[in-house]
Amino acid sequence: MNIKQMIANYSLNHYKTVTIVMVIITLGLAAFIPLIKVDTDPENMLSPEEPVKLFHHHTKKQFNLSDIVVLGIVNNKHPDGVFNVDSLAKIYNLTEFSRTLQWPDKNHPDKLSGVVEVDILAPSTVDNIEQGAPGEIRFEWLMSRPPATPEEALSIRDKALSNPLLKGTLISEDGKALCLYLPLTSKDMSYKVYTELKKEIATMPGDEEFYITGLPVAEDTFGVEMFIQMAVSAPLAMLVIFLLMLFFFRKLVLIISPLIVAMVSVISTMGLLIGLGYPVHIMSSMIPIFLMPIAVVDSVHILSEFFGLYTPQKGRRETIREVMDNLFTPMLYTSLTSAAGFISLALTPIPPVQVFGIFVAIGILMAWVWTVLFVPAYVMFISEKNLANFGTAASAEHKQTLLTRLLHSSGRFTYSSAKLIITIMVILTAVAGYGISRIRINDNPVKWFSKSHPIRMADTELNRHFGGTYMAYLVLDTVKEKGVSSEYLQALTQRLKKKSDELKNEFPQVDSAFNEAKTILTQNAPTTNDKDTLLDDMSRFANDKMESLPDHDTMYDIWYELADFFDLEKENLKLFKQPEVLRYLERLQDYLAGIKVNGRTLVGKTNSVSDVVKKVYQELIDGRPENYRIPDTSAAVAQSLLQFQSSHNPDDLWHLVSSDYMHANIWCQLTSGDNMDMNKVIAAVEQFFRDNPPPAPLAHNWAGLTYINTVWQDKMVSGMLQSFMGSFLVVFIMMSILFRSPLWGIICMIPLTITIVLIYGMIGLVGKDYDMPVAVLSSLTLGLAVDFAIHFLERARDTYRQKGSWQASVPEMFGEPAHAISRNVLVIAIGFLPLLAAPLVPYKTVGILLCAIMTVSGTITLLVLPAILRLAEKVLFKPAKQLHGVSCNCAFCLVISISSVLLIAINAHQYFKIGWSKLTWISIVIIPLSALICGIMSRRKACKNL
Amino acid sequence: MSFSRIAVWVLLCSVMVWADNETANQDKTPEKTETPDVSTIVNKANFMAYYQGQDGKSRVKMTITDKNNTVRIREFNILRKDKQDGGDQFFYVYFLKPADVRKMVFMVHKHTDIDKDDDRWLYMPSIDNVKRISAGDKRTSFVGSDFLYEDVSGRSLQEDTHEIIETTDKHYVIKNVPKDKKNVEFSYYNVWINRDNYMPVKMEYYDSNNKMYRKIEALTIETIQNYPTVVKSQVTDLAKNSTTVMEFSNVEYDIKLDDIFTERYLRRPPREAMR
Repeated sequence: MNIKQMIANYSLNHYKTVTIVMVIITLGLAAFIPLIKVDTDPENMLSPEEPVKLFHHHTKKQFNLSDIVVLGIVNNKHPDGVFNVDSLAKIYNLTEFSRTLQWPDKNHPDKLSGVVEVDILAPSTVDNIEQGAPGEIRFEWLMSRPPATPEEALSIRDKALSNPLLKGTLISEDGKALCLYLPLTSKDMSYKVYTELKKEIATMPGDEEFYITGLPVAEDTFGVEMFIQMAVSAPLAMLVIFLLMLFFFRKLVLIISPLIVAMVSVISTMGLLIGLGYPVHIMSSMIPIFLMPIAVVDSVHILSEFFGLYTPQKGRRETIREVMDNLFTPMLYTSLTSAAGFISLALTPIPPVQVFGIFVAIGILMAWVWTVLFVPAYVMFISEKNLANFGTAASAEHKQTLLTRLLHSSGRFTYSSAKLIITIMVILTAVAGYGISRIRINDNPVKWFSKSHPIRMADTELNRHFGGTYMAYLVLDTVKEKGVSSEYLQALTQRLKKKSDELKNEFPQVDSAFNEAKTILTQNAPTTNDKDTLLDDMSRFANDKMESLPDHDTMYDIWYELADFFDLEKENLKLFKQPEVLRYLERLQDYLAGIKVNGRTLVGKTNSVSDVVKKVYQELIDGRPENYRIPDTSAAVAQSLLQFQSSHNPDDLWHLVSSDYMHANIWCQLTSGDNMDMNKVIAAVEQFFRDNPPPAPLAHNWAGLTYINTVWQDKMVSGMLQSFMGSFLVVFIMMSILFRSPLWGIICMIPLTITIVLIYGMIGLVGKDYDMPVAVLSSLTLGLAVDFAIHFLERARDTYRQKGSWQASVPEMFGEPAHAISRNVLVIAIGFLPLLAAPLVPYKTVGILLCAIMTVSGTITLLVLPAILRLAEKVLFKPAKQLHGVSCNCAFCLVISISSVLLIAINAHQYFKIGWSKLTWISIVIIPLSALICGIMSRRKACKNL
Repeated sequence: MSFSRIAVWVLLCSVMVWADNETANQDKTPEKTETPDVSTIVNKANFMAYYQGQDGKSRVKMTITDKNNTVRIREFNILRKDKQDGGDQFFYVYFLKPADVRKMVFMVHKHTDIDKDDDRWLYMPSIDNVKRISAGDKRTSFVGSDFLYEDVSGRSLQEDTHEIIETTDKHYVIKNVPKDKKNVEFSYYNVWINRDNYMPVKMEYYDSNNKMYRKIEALTIETIQNYPTVVKSQVTDLAKNSTTVMEFSNVEYDIKLDDIFTERYLRRPPREAMR
């Protein structure tokens, strides 16, 4: 008795024990589910040590930046937009309300979390700078209180429009709409803030339209709605699958078993995931959706077979034993291949995808275990009486269904028109190949919502009016030079000389101090670490000199002036106070504003320290437009900035420049959150830096959520591709071993290869973005599409052995085996269509793609495989030589070795980050070596005996 | 509303609080009979804080420490002259550090009349330009520190209603509620005033949720030329998690300053300002 019979017998004899054990294990794991921790932050797609992420957090800390909820207010009914007494009063009240959106932090009870009150950007929280009476500069709140008259309302509009810092950010370019920016202590507060704002807005009837958006809101809201969706979609899919199975098998009592297997697998997988302490991320929330079709597939095969073989004479026990005998091996392999497809995701460098892959794989294996153990046991619970009139024997003989007729005629067609089928497939594949070349890799969390969702609508509306609601930060860092160059020392000495010459009029005794300072300077310079230290030392030296003297001494004044000279030199090292660097920033910003794709501006607005300097300087001079410029001296820059700091919000400056003026942040507002667009901006900026070398050494880096999203997308796409290649090889090796022939292995891979090419070709042709769900579905395709091929080819070989020719086998193959495949296709394809009703786009994508994958792979399996078998009958079914051990087959050995080498290379590249060139060299050595070993093995004595 | 009515009301309130204290915790107010009325206290405190001597000068060093522990320094000399004791005053602030703002001057003619805005001037040496400054209110930052313009120049007593809310062994605690809430960000503030010399030593600002968000403390008090003088004070902004320490050195009183508080002295700072 072999192992499969032992398992079947055990299950049949101890069916009660098996059931009880299953229930206990499932309940045990289900007990962990209440401990669920949810993580809806796409940022966690990157591992915590990811340099990009570390830099992002460093930037946020350095410039006190927060993730921002954007609340836009538009009034299309009033001729002045929102700049009327009523609307502005509402906006004022809403700002006051948003100040209160703070709650005690869960982790730090002494701190508050929610809206960062001091950083709120609203008409009542920003300063207006303007010319007052002649020679007067006026500072005041832009809107200290709601306006009382229409004139006051319009004057607020005009003030805001005349401030370049506010235009496009706070006030729309057309002067009709306003945006409030509510920074959050942490991103995961955004849904709460969003909900509270919506509640408050609901109490404000009127002509205004309120829009809330921003990546944090989109991401957090998606997380919340995703879980609601899971609770609706997954059970709904289950229900439809149930109804379809009821339609096919007509025995309620029987079809409950696949549902139990699916439910048990989903519950125990999720229980295990949660129990092991993993948070449920966007990816892992999709586990049930992915697991369900796979878990159902095997049971449908069993039921189909049972349906076909059952006769009352044989009885359920004998029938199920026969079924298990036929299906055990293909089911084992289909499960292993599906699991392999998913487990390969463990090698992508994205933690949530790793968790997803591993747990789907575990789920698949659990589903397999319960399918082979529980389904037979379940059949034992059904009394024979209940199975009366069940099965093909009872129903089919006299009742040809549409499906069976269709299958039989397509069977005949594959035999008669094999060449035609192959030709059509080749053409289709070529077209799809072209489609793949046009695939557009792009993702945008806001577009995860369907077009009618409030967040998506807000996004469209606000990005039309304003500079953009997607934040990215271009950070410029001073590259400090080590040591003090002789050129610098020389220039510094010259400047010191000039200074002392200037002082000579007032203090004729300056020469002695100058000479003393110069000596110390020349002495210290070569051994000092950097310019700052040198100047600090010199300033301290001059100060010490000064303090050793009584303050009425002339030398006291001279040393004071020299200390000041060195202090000033040190200030001049602070790059972002230097006019030429600020002008460079200005040019970079102009360049950013000019980046266009198809006439569409990508960066709607930028703000930097340059803008602040220009605005304050302009108003300090006389407010005339021509004075909106960077002043000519760094002292004028510093003095303008000090004046800016005498405002209500002095710290606003530190969002744009570090307080040591060594780092600057260009705050970019993008009109689109599409990664594709962000990538274009990144590339354009690289080009700018190549074409325009900065006046001083500057490093540039990006931060901000819009940027972070592009980084994990890149990892996702390349990671997925490599995982896919890896699992493709694993499945191929497994298939070659299963069929004991690399040739059959290749044939088995054909349907899934064509399916994937067609599906992705279609995505390319239709213009659907290749985004996260699409990327993940490639693994599912691999698992599901190969299933059908395995079942079909296994049965084809069995049948051929019995019938002796392919022509004679076709009718049988297009009987029960084809039937099982078609049923599976229909059950899963239709079963997941309810996902289309979901308001979240990734769910729709999964629904459509699952449907397409099942339909295409089923069709290809049933059309192309028989056509190939027909054409290559002689080669494939040649008289069996397989009695030799597998190790004697030189070609087999070689193919397996080469695939294994490639597999290891792909994984090594991904996991240990070994470069491709290195791996190529290693492979060039290993492949001939394994060829040699294969050759020797196949020629050894043991192989010649037979 | 007339001032006298407010005064009567404040007086009434303070008496009530005081009476309440008497019955509730008698041991806390041992010298209750000596408690002066609230307007005496706030007037004396205002004198202590802003009107010592006829005039005065001091070197000031401000150390601003933000929540990331980044430190910024400002150094300036400040000259003051009283036009009339307890009334209008002149200030002249001459910047020394950072070096690139040296010689910048900020001058104020402070008016205690509640309806008259202070006159302020700014001199920018880099462009040799004098600009008058007008501001919507006095609650703006003083050169980027956590001190506000009003902390430095002084808040007119007429802007708030005052009430004694507690009398401890050492301090009178006065609650001050703004009469016009629109121009200020606080809903009230409490001041701790030394009972022995009327020096205000601590101020706590509360927002509309009754939460303290800002405080100013006198850290060191020295007696200079017989005048008790705060030589080190600190403001903490709890919302921004930022502090500023202000240290006074070279303090001198009654130095007989000339009339240097005019526009023409902005470009030609007097020697007292530069030292």
